[in-house]
Amino acid sequence: MSAAAALRRDLGLGLAAAVGLAVLLAAIASSAGAFDAGLALDIDARLAAPSWLHWFGTDALGRDVLALVAAGARVSVGVALAAVATGLVIGVPLGLGAAVLGGVADELASRFGDLVFAVPSLLLAVLLAATLGPGPGDAVVALGVFNIPVFARVARGQARVLLGRDFVLAARLAGKGRLSLAFAHLLPNLSGGLIVQATIQLALAISAEAGLSYVGLGAQPPAPSWGRMLSEAQTLAAQAPWLVWFPGAALCLTVLAFSVLGERLRDHLDPRAGG
Amino acid sequence: MKPARRRAACLAALAAGLLALGAPLAHAAGDAAGITLGLALEPPNLDPTLTSAEATEDVVYSNVFEGLTRIAEDGSVAPGLARHWTVSPDGLDYRFELRPGVRFHDGTPLTALDAKYSLDRARARDSTNPLRELLGPIDSIGVAGDLGLVIHLRHPLAELITYLGWGNLVIMSPLSSARAATAPVGTGPFRFGSWRKGDAIVLERNDDYWGEPARLERVTFRILPDPSTALAALRAGDIDGFANFPSPESLGALAADPCFAVVVGSTEGETLLAINNLRPPFNDLRVRRALSHAIDRSAIIKAAMYGYGQPIGSHFPPHHPAYVDLTGRYPFDPARARALLAAAGYPQGFAVTLKLPPPYYARRSGEIIAAELAAIGVRVRIENVEWAQWLEQVFKNHDFDLTVVSHTEPLDYDIYARPGYYFGYSNPAYAALLERLSRTLDPAERSRLLGEVQRTLADDAVNVFLFELPKLGVWRTGLHGMWREAPVQGIDLSHVWLEATPGRSAPAVHAGRLPLVLLAALVALGALALAAALGRHASPRYLAGRAISLALTLLAATVVIFVLVDVLPGDPAAYMMGLNASPAAVAELRHEFGLDATPLAQYLAWLAGLVHGDLGQSYTYRVPVSALLAERLSVSAPLALLALALTVVIAFPLALVAAARPRGRLDACLMALAQLGLAVPNFWLGILLILGFSVGLHWAPAGGFPGWDAGPAAALAALTLPALALAVPQGCILARVLRTALGEALGEDYVRTARGKGLSPGQTLIRHALPNALVPVLTVLGLQFSFLLAGGVLVETVFSLPGIGRLVLQATEQRDLMVVRSVVLVLVATVVAVNFIVELAYAALDPRLRQESLR
Repeated sequence: MSAAAALRRDLGLGLAAAVGLAVLLAAIASSAGAFDAGLALDIDARLAAPSWLHWFGTDALGRDVLALVAAGARVSVGVALAAVATGLVIGVPLGLGAAVLGGVADELASRFGDLVFAVPSLLLAVLLAATLGPGPGDAVVALGVFNIPVFARVARGQARVLLGRDFVLAARLAGKGRLSLAFAHLLPNLSGGLIVQATIQLALAISAEAGLSYVGLGAQPPAPSWGRMLSEAQTLAAQAPWLVWFPGAALCLTVLAFSVLGERLRDHLDPRAGG
Repeated sequence: MKPARRRAACLAALAAGLLALGAPLAHAAGDAAGITLGLALEPPNLDPTLTSAEATEDVVYSNVFEGLTRIAEDGSVAPGLARHWTVSPDGLDYRFELRPGVRFHDGTPLTALDAKYSLDRARARDSTNPLRELLGPIDSIGVAGDLGLVIHLRHPLAELITYLGWGNLVIMSPLSSARAATAPVGTGPFRFGSWRKGDAIVLERNDDYWGEPARLERVTFRILPDPSTALAALRAGDIDGFANFPSPESLGALAADPCFAVVVGSTEGETLLAINNLRPPFNDLRVRRALSHAIDRSAIIKAAMYGYGQPIGSHFPPHHPAYVDLTGRYPFDPARARALLAAAGYPQGFAVTLKLPPPYYARRSGEIIAAELAAIGVRVRIENVEWAQWLEQVFKNHDFDLTVVSHTEPLDYDIYARPGYYFGYSNPAYAALLERLSRTLDPAERSRLLGEVQRTLADDAVNVFLFELPKLGVWRTGLHGMWREAPVQGIDLSHVWLEATPGRSAPAVHAGRLPLVLLAALVALGALALAAALGRHASPRYLAGRAISLALTLLAATVVIFVLVDVLPGDPAAYMMGLNASPAAVAELRHEFGLDATPLAQYLAWLAGLVHGDLGQSYTYRVPVSALLAERLSVSAPLALLALALTVVIAFPLALVAAARPRGRLDACLMALAQLGLAVPNFWLGILLILGFSVGLHWAPAGGFPGWDAGPAAALAALTLPALALAVPQGCILARVLRTALGEALGEDYVRTARGKGLSPGQTLIRHALPNALVPVLTVLGLQFSFLLAGGVLVETVFSLPGIGRLVLQATEQRDLMVVRSVVLVLVATVVAVNFIVELAYAALDPRLRQESLR
């Protein structure tokens, strides 16, 4: 690879890492209450265009849009992390078990995965919200349920490849049980692929959470959320376009950053997969 | 014939066929004497005697149905179907004289028996009419000749003449009242035309009307719940106006535009911060008074209502002559509020939950109220609920602390004396006051008593009275006769007319079956052909095995879906009946829906229906689910196909150009662009596209779907921007997949052989690499189609398209369980079926994989 290309790649990775870090920091800072001042209502200053006082302008209730965007990272990242964690914690053992046990268990797991993928996660979230009441929990459950088969498939696929390897055969010959084999020997070798998938799923989950917030599910007011900000901005779009631009750009950049990170990680950890 | 000419002939035939399809439908639209009005809420049904839904009365009151009396714009009672009436001196006997020569829309003449039937039906013990209890004082109703009606009361009921002018007591014929919910037959200046669920209701002029005929030939009510699409539709000219516009923030811009008239009036709606008086700490008067002092009404009106709306101090509208201004009873004073809380024993404040139903005034006011209460130490947790949940939790179970809602029925101060009403307010003195008022006929005394009513409610601080809900009327200049005020629920169109403007055409809204049938046939044929072609490559045993597996998956899906939907709390029957329903009426409706059977029985009944191809009957609309689905599919399926086509159009050039010079600068640039493109959320892109192409350039409609009847060109134009919003991220994903696949294919030996033979890089790419790269592409395309069909709900929301995704969303909100169940199942089945076909295609296209798949 030429020096220029290498620089471009590293630049891309660097930028992605920087954005990802910024978002994570914003999320943590928001939990600590760093942006509460900007989130206070100021009815007289509503719908102000971007200025030195308010870099991103103010919204319909006078809140500072920069503070809202930064605080919105908390919901996006929080829900996405929880959903991906759910998928990992439940999906990986399921996938490993299906690969190791094989037969009917494997078939059942496959069918179940097909079923989960067939139900649109948005509709599942709508049903959950109608049952449990709206809140970020619905988004976590709906996206988490969707992530389980994803990680199960990755774990199963890679485990099946590993099962044909010599070290596994040796362990079986030495008398290791199937399940302890799975966790002691297979899991460590899967971690690279799982990290890559987790990063990509994080990007998808952030995007999906924004979609759920847009239709009113997910985090409830007054907790700021990028998707809900976009929903409220639609009628004001002609008068106050900054309300559409900034949350949307934040969302777009965050998803981009995490998906680029995922791809670069794949290049480092698993160069044979993908292209 | 030479191949090239044959191809040209086919294309010409196809084009001619498409044109033929479009032409006869295109000139069905167009009628300069019709108008289109927007409605923010779709009525659950069209019978105003069954429900107190405002949307129902908006459509039918004084248009399709009429009562014995009529409410005029200034709130006074005018003669309706009764041209004259007398009251006995003791107020116990009323005698009405009906107009002669009145006919119902089906031709039957109106007689006093119809009036007697309608009123008896309303006050029957098992009636679901919202006014049933208020008609309690009626002892008997009789007829005197053909056109005479006699009502005898047990004690005076001063409000009777007014009640008779409300939509709940319109006169129907026993021959047609059973079908009134879906095919109303009344005596009004308009007759019912059609109702396309989720989209529009059409009324046609009644040329045999007994009075002055309406000036409009046709009125179309388009359902536009989304404020942004409502605004876009208004600006684009798709609708002529809104009687009550759901977005106050846009009124400033509209008022400045000479094309529009903004006419703001009053309604009978009192918007309240309702308090659960039975729940501590709200049972303490001091706490309730503290809440009143903590709320700054003017801030709420300014920020939530953009300045529209009048503050109120009690449950009474300011425009009423008997209004007493009690807004100063609890002036905005946070210090006093805190002192009152401390006196009541809450110096540190307390935590509460504020439940907010969907309307914009509730949600926006709620956020401001939360901030204002936080300032006095009351920590508020906001919970946005749908109407079904609000009815269940707040209205029925009284499980709430605070809520914001608007009570829009006129003269509804009687709710404060109703036992078991959700406020939990019980004051015998107040009930006695209302009783006296009911028996008082002298206007001056009535006025005085009404003042007492208001003062009592304010003194007891039962709720925090916020503001009177304004009527935000917006319509094109040139539309005359629309009312400024709304003294009663309804949109009176009898005297509305439109100045003639050149080139206007009202869109016709009848469901176009032909394109849908053709589309379905094409898709079915294609799928069959594909399956047959691919089936050649697989053994019958393999196919049978997969088919059984498919069936089992679907069966499992039905169980999962049934359980998921059945768990939904909230009663469809309660939702349909509305706020004033009696428990007996709701139970009656539940029995009709079959909801009182055991879950297992319901599941088996549903399954049995599915096997016969019967998807069940919608609770809300009372039509077969398959009909609803077909209507929505006629939008979603073309949208998904168009998006898929655009995906291919975006992805292929991108990937091919990038792969032409692998690892070059262009390759890296294009792939980076694709990386950016797939990170763009499709709903954000949709909003931006509307901003740019609709609001900015006026190149495409900003939302809504005119129906296939308006011609394929108009329909496709409405689907272009949504399809683009869906296609850009998907296209970028596909581009990357294709580029990867092309890269792999280009590294194979046979490519080097081809180049060795002398083929140019371009030819090698197209003729050798591309076909081999199509396998993963097909898989992705198949997956994307399934996603586009159901996952398009976000884009459907942005553009307000009546598609499948929104059908499920709306049905869930309305607790129309049958629709939710059946439609989700159809979606799941489609995905599973498409995956099945893709698997077959995978095996067929790549012989290397066939051995694997046959095992």
